Amino acid sequence: MKHLDFLEIYMLFFVKSEAANKLYFIGFLLPSIHSAPPFFTQQPHPGTNATATEQWSTLILAYARYRKLFLLRVEDAETADGDWAEVLRNERINRKILPSYLTTLLAAMVAKNLAVFEPAGQTRSVVLHWRLPDEWAEVLHTWAISTGQLNTIMTFYEITDPPVPSPLSNIPISLLKKTIGILAKTGRAQLIAVADGEGVRFFQGTGR
Amino acid sequence: MRRGVGLAAFDRQQQSNRSFAQLSSQLSQAQVDNLHAQLNQFRTALARFATTHRDSIRKDAAFRHAFQQMCSSIGVDPLAGPRKGGWWAEMLGLGDWQYELGVQIVDVCVSTRERNGGLIEMDELLRLVRKLRGVGGGQVTEEDVVRSIKTLQPLGGGYEVIVLSDSRKLVRSVPKELDEDQAAILAVAQQEGGRIVADMLVARKGWTHNRAKTALDNMVLRDGLCWLDEQDEFSGTAYWVTSAMKWDV
Repeated sequence: MKHLDFLEIYMLFFVKSEAANKLYFIGFLLPSIHSAPPFFTQQPHPGTNATATEQWSTLILAYARYRKLFLLRVEDAETADGDWAEVLRNERINRKILPSYLTTLLAAMVAKNLAVFEPAGQTRSVVLHWRLPDEWAEVLHTWAISTGQLNTIMTFYEITDPPVPSPLSNIPISLLKKTIGILAKTGRAQLIAVADGEGVRFFQGTGR
Repeated sequence: MRRGVGLAAFDRQQQSNRSFAQLSSQLSQAQVDNLHAQLNQFRTALARFATTHRDSIRKDAAFRHAFQQMCSSIGVDPLAGPRKGGWWAEMLGLGDWQYELGVQIVDVCVSTRERNGGLIEMDELLRLVRKLRGVGGGQVTEEDVVRSIKTLQPLGGGYEVIVLSDSRKLVRSVPKELDEDQAAILAVAQQEGGRIVADMLVARKGWTHNRAKTALDNMVLRDGLCWLDEQDEFSGTAYWVTSAMKWDV
């Protein structure tokens, strides 16, 4: 899993800047290929295309993880001041990833389970798996324990928008549901219908 | 020390000088011995590691990779040593230094083939091989690489050094002949930092537009030697020769 190594490096940068009490802040380090003009065009040669696709997937996931971005839409390449502009565009060499290419990339990432189409049934926007749902399940369970939420009923809103920001802030509902589903299988959470929608209750459990 | 005034004082001074000299040589001798002992210990430890793990290193690719990473992180070149073959080579029976370098060259060529179509610039190859060899790898020169590639030729992998018209060198790792047009395109692309469009070839080489276009399309589609750029400001479509571009691994 090459892209995971790559992610780890960015995480290291992040952790380092946190450790220094934010005295300094290391920005996202774009790989050198990002300044190569042909990187922004879909390659007709299958081998070349595979290389480019891998580089793009890695880059997109690393950036999503760094900025805590969950959603990527085909339109994101069109706005110069959007969340994704720094990666999907390179103003210095006057290139941006074209919508048709980004659509292909999204499909390739979905095929590798690095993302899922959201909402389902279309191909223009995805939820990115910069953590796999299994990993999110662990994060969610650890968070529930550390904030003392065991055995009480919580709404999804309390998880996606907690008063104290958590690693799960802004997590898309679809991914959250999938995550809860994984915990439910190991008896560590239970999906519950509440007055205005759905909620969840967490249990101690060991995950076995 | 009290200085006497008589003749006997000279003798005494000479005597003490001699004693100090003796003491100093004893001390440095002890240090040298100590270093030798440490070196011997290190060597034995390495030798023991090599013999116990020889089979794993040779058979298990993942273990070999981890071993090489370990060597590179502590700055030890697994091929280096006092003799040409090196301790490791001797212990592991991997063979000649030259062949080892060959293996590293193949490693770099194969791992970059996907993106450069099997054609890599000499400087870039040297940079990556040196990176692979770690801190002590600075002594690898272009000549070493050229010689190693010659030793690879009997294997029939198609490894060959290509010299362009401006005397820059490329290393080819696919058993495929570059035709004359492609060699010309590579030479022009090198001067342009990798970017090439059909009009350049028409203007500089006097080719017809069709010939230039066909040659470029072949390089992209058939051989994967070029990347396509459809957002070029000047001519809409440009071609980029990847072996002339710099990459991070």
